Amino acid sequence: MSTVDTSSGKRSALAPLGKPLAAAGGVLGIVAALLPWVTFTLNDGNWPDKSTLQFFDAPFSVTGFRWHVLLLGVLILVAAFAPVPSKGRVVRALGWGLTLVSFVNAAYITVKGGGLGAITALDGATAFGGVVGLVAGVLAILAGYGIGIGPVGDWKFKVSTPVAYLVLLVSFGAVLYAVAAMLTTGGVGSANPYAGAIFLSFLGFAAGILAALSGVGFVRWISALSEQHRVFSVVVLAACALLLPFTDAGNEYWMTVAANIGIYAATAIGLNIVVGLAGLLDLGYVAFMGIGALVAANFSGAATAYFGFDLPFPVAAVIAAIVAGIFGAIVGSPTLRVRGDYLAIVTLAFGEIFTRSAQNDIGGFTNGSNAIPGIPALSLFGTEFNRSISIGSVKLPAGVLYYILIVLLVAATMAVFANLKFSRIGRAWIAIREDEDAARAMGIRTGKMKILAFLIGAMLAGLAGAVFAHKNGTVSYESFKFLESVTLLAAVILGGMGSIPGAVLGAALLFVLPEKLRDFEDYRLMIFGLALILIMRFRPVGLIPDAHRRAEMVERADENAEEAHLEAKKA
Amino acid sequence: MSVLLQQLANGVVQGALIALIALGYTMVYGIIQLINFAHGEVFMVASYGGLATFTLLPEDLQKSPAVALPLMFVGGIVVAVVVAVIMERFAYRPLRNAPRLAPLITALGVSVFLQEAVRVFYPNAKSNLPYPKVFPEGNLTLGPVNVSWTGVLLVGLSIGLAVILQTYINKSRMGRAMRATAQDPDTAKLMGVNPNRVIVLTFVFGAVLAGVAGIMYGGYLNNINIDMGFQTGIFAFTAAVLGGVGSIRGAVIGAFIIGLIKTVAGQYMPGGTQYDYVWIFVVLILVLVFRPQGLFGEPERVRA
Repeated sequence: MSTVDTSSGKRSALAPLGKPLAAAGGVLGIVAALLPWVTFTLNDGNWPDKSTLQFFDAPFSVTGFRWHVLLLGVLILVAAFAPVPSKGRVVRALGWGLTLVSFVNAAYITVKGGGLGAITALDGATAFGGVVGLVAGVLAILAGYGIGIGPVGDWKFKVSTPVAYLVLLVSFGAVLYAVAAMLTTGGVGSANPYAGAIFLSFLGFAAGILAALSGVGFVRWISALSEQHRVFSVVVLAACALLLPFTDAGNEYWMTVAANIGIYAATAIGLNIVVGLAGLLDLGYVAFMGIGALVAANFSGAATAYFGFDLPFPVAAVIAAIVAGIFGAIVGSPTLRVRGDYLAIVTLAFGEIFTRSAQNDIGGFTNGSNAIPGIPALSLFGTEFNRSISIGSVKLPAGVLYYILIVLLVAATMAVFANLKFSRIGRAWIAIREDEDAARAMGIRTGKMKILAFLIGAMLAGLAGAVFAHKNGTVSYESFKFLESVTLLAAVILGGMGSIPGAVLGAALLFVLPEKLRDFEDYRLMIFGLALILIMRFRPVGLIPDAHRRAEMVERADENAEEAHLEAKKA
Repeated sequence: MSVLLQQLANGVVQGALIALIALGYTMVYGIIQLINFAHGEVFMVASYGGLATFTLLPEDLQKSPAVALPLMFVGGIVVAVVVAVIMERFAYRPLRNAPRLAPLITALGVSVFLQEAVRVFYPNAKSNLPYPKVFPEGNLTLGPVNVSWTGVLLVGLSIGLAVILQTYINKSRMGRAMRATAQDPDTAKLMGVNPNRVIVLTFVFGAVLAGVAGIMYGGYLNNINIDMGFQTGIFAFTAAVLGGVGSIRGAVIGAFIIGLIKTVAGQYMPGGTQYDYVWIFVVLILVLVFRPQGLFGEPERVRA
């Protein structure tokens, strides 16, 4: 309620200043990009992209984050003066991007350089890039409020199928490029001392651009378009995913990371069925992945496996999925009598029972806290999946086969999810989520449907777990604790409940960030907790909300705004 | 037989500790239907707050328990209350009208955040920290049963505070406002109750009790760690659910049942103490399935 008031208050005060502020912000952004950012060479070497004073050797070769700043500055100018839909939103988003990029770089330099002298003036050298960038960003944000935050742009125009295909192709290509860039910026771990900052800065830039695209209505348009041409989009997306090894990110390290993300993404999609579609909160979901992994490990011929024989992977994976599914149905059965928060507690209890039992080597299946080691890598036609392979003259990095397998796994999970979502079952789930009693009154057998949601979700998690076991070579209960369940849930919510691309994006963000932020290892979980709070506060629908759900939320928000308005009138 | 009696006594002490925390859960849930997952962390933070207070005391005061212990209670409670009020104001209040999942996720976020903040910023919090020896020493011996005086104090405090709380809620004006808000927030508002005040007060009460629990935990078990909030918090929540969320009496009785299951099952069930945890959850699931409203709760109203 109060947010509505303040924004309208700001609008009235800033309204005449909207465009001038945007102009100032844009110009200052461009200036900031061309200024040096650091007064001296830091101990770990020059700040990247010639932003130390040596920049004057080549003033206009702007690269890296300074290029991002330049681009944002130009875009702010363009957005302010070109006929852009929902101008205020776009300018504000770009302003935030600029602020974030400037802040990350300036703050990092200040901390590493040991004082504000590093980003202002010191020993006769001046470097006001960071300060100017920050000012520019804040000006642009204010300009956005001045211009006014209208509704998100809505593009009505239709395009013919070939054009639509082209647009989708280009968009997904851009996504592939962005993903590769995001993975490779700053290099791998310790190779570049500034890797963490470079990555965060890039993330700020990407967030600003994405928010601007979403504000202008492009994101909504594209998602509507891809919904129309669903088969084509899926094929292109899968192709893009399979092309990732051929980009800069095609080395062993990133293949491993990407494969891990894929496993969690597949699990998150499974969870999305339970939480996003059926609306049943599951706080112990990772246990199903654990069950799948343990079953697969026990059939793998590893030294401590319970069954002393080696089943072919597909058979083991199916058994893993089935066993996990059975447990899913068992855990889901209280849903017949228990609702809402109480159900969340039942699932949490189940998760804790699983962890505790696995830790104590229940029945000799889990090898307790020693974990099951030495699970053999998968192999196909004599090629082990963790070796590198060559196609013709192109040598692909080690782990690429796992990556491909996991892309296929994710694609399969997505297909299952999408088919279910648009089927009779999916509609029944959504009906249950919205109003269980009404759904029952409409003749939906709610109990059966809820157990089915748990069963299918658990099977998908079990399948992902089976791949996880073989890929990592060991299975320990440590990988399946409460925090992992929370992280998966956060991935679903961050991406947008009930939305497929959302779950993948959420999982990617939540599992790439820790890889990239090794510098902040200690603060990682703290930031994670804070991020959860902030997301719920400012964007509870998630980054890529499901269309149906978004409509609902917007309606609700409008109602709230109306109510607030009435109340304000009364007072 | 003497083993059983001893375990029963231990269970009562553990139950008393859990009860103090469970009361916070049950009150908050009763009023705003929020599972405040972070409440366990409030308890943990209070424990560290008490320890920090002790560390900051001058040396001669540290040596006199009569001064140090009350000051630790004050320090721990103040920290707990401040954390709880900030949490309510900035994390939960903006989400009052959001879909039900949102505050729950926020609570998980707050919980992770608090735990990590203590781990990162409190000196040496990565390992177990010993708690100062300012608590009553020696044991109360009744036949075969030995209970430390700290444990006796814990049980006394727990039952005493629960009775005071119950009386306050039943008799005082503010207590009536709390019950009214829990029953129907909108009507309560029409009757002149300020829901924000009631809700903040609920969090404050919960934090005070969690603060007492935090200090007593350190005194009873002699050392504290950052995981204590999550574990004990889950037990406490289980107790609240077992007793029927929203019911003060239910939370206390549920807590004693949990404490007894933990010690007795750890002694007699297969698997021993390694599985005591598991039995608690098995009981919880059974209760929820066969009596979802808990032992003393009202049947869940279907919300329109």
